[in-house]
Amino acid sequence: MLNPLRSEAEAFRFLIYVVVTVVLIVAVVLLGRAIL
Amino acid sequence: MEAAGAAHAQDAHEAHPPEAHRSSRVEPQLLGMLLFIISEVMIFGAFFTAYFFIRVVNADPWPAHGTELPVAVAGVNTAILLSSSLTMHWTLTSVKNGNRFGLKAGILSTFLLGATFLFVQINEYAHVGFAPHDSAQGSIFYGLTGLHGAHVFIGLTLLAMVTVRAFRGHYSPEEHRGVEVPGIYWHFVDVMWIIVYSTIYVL
Repeated sequence: MLNPLRSEAEAFRFLIYVVVTVVLIVAVVLLGRAIL
Repeated sequence: MEAAGAAHAQDAHEAHPPEAHRSSRVEPQLLGMLLFIISEVMIFGAFFTAYFFIRVVNADPWPAHGTELPVAVAGVNTAILLSSSLTMHWTLTSVKNGNRFGLKAGILSTFLLGATFLFVQINEYAHVGFAPHDSAQGSIFYGLTGLHGAHVFIGLTLLAMVTVRAFRGHYSPEEHRGVEVPGIYWHFVDVMWIIVYSTIYVL
């Protein structure tokens, strides 16, 4: 299991996952606002 | 033989509790960072609660009427901060592989990118056109971005120490905890900024 506090490499991977997740959420919200 | 030795070591581990004030599972430095980051998440959580309160519960406009946030400049600043995480990762990879040039170049560029981020942030404060006491939105904006900026400043202090030590010949593929822990902290600061930027500036 990913533990971002165990090592820098895992923290870096966690950061990438956060970036991807946030980009997806922002895209969905902006798309929803444009449609509704 | 090796399997028997490993089994014996496992028995010994289970038979004896760890030393006083020590965990058998987490090293003290990482445990300290874990507790620190948990407390940090709670601090940021308090600020985000205030933000969501005025936006969702009060349904106030964001940003306040007559004000505008420099989304593009902050976007470029976000790219700068994310780049600093890349160079931080390069730093760790280099020190683990015994690449001293990569260690020094990586940590120096991480520091410079972080300092650039902070400089742009301060410049943004000077030109944004509203003050913390002008509105609730202004208070939240300065509160959240300022709290993050303070963390960047702490991170830069740590990075400065690592940079000096790296140029003095410290760290090796076997011993690089002094780079690893500030690296974890730096990525945490980036994670927080991604959330701050997307909520404050974009959404």
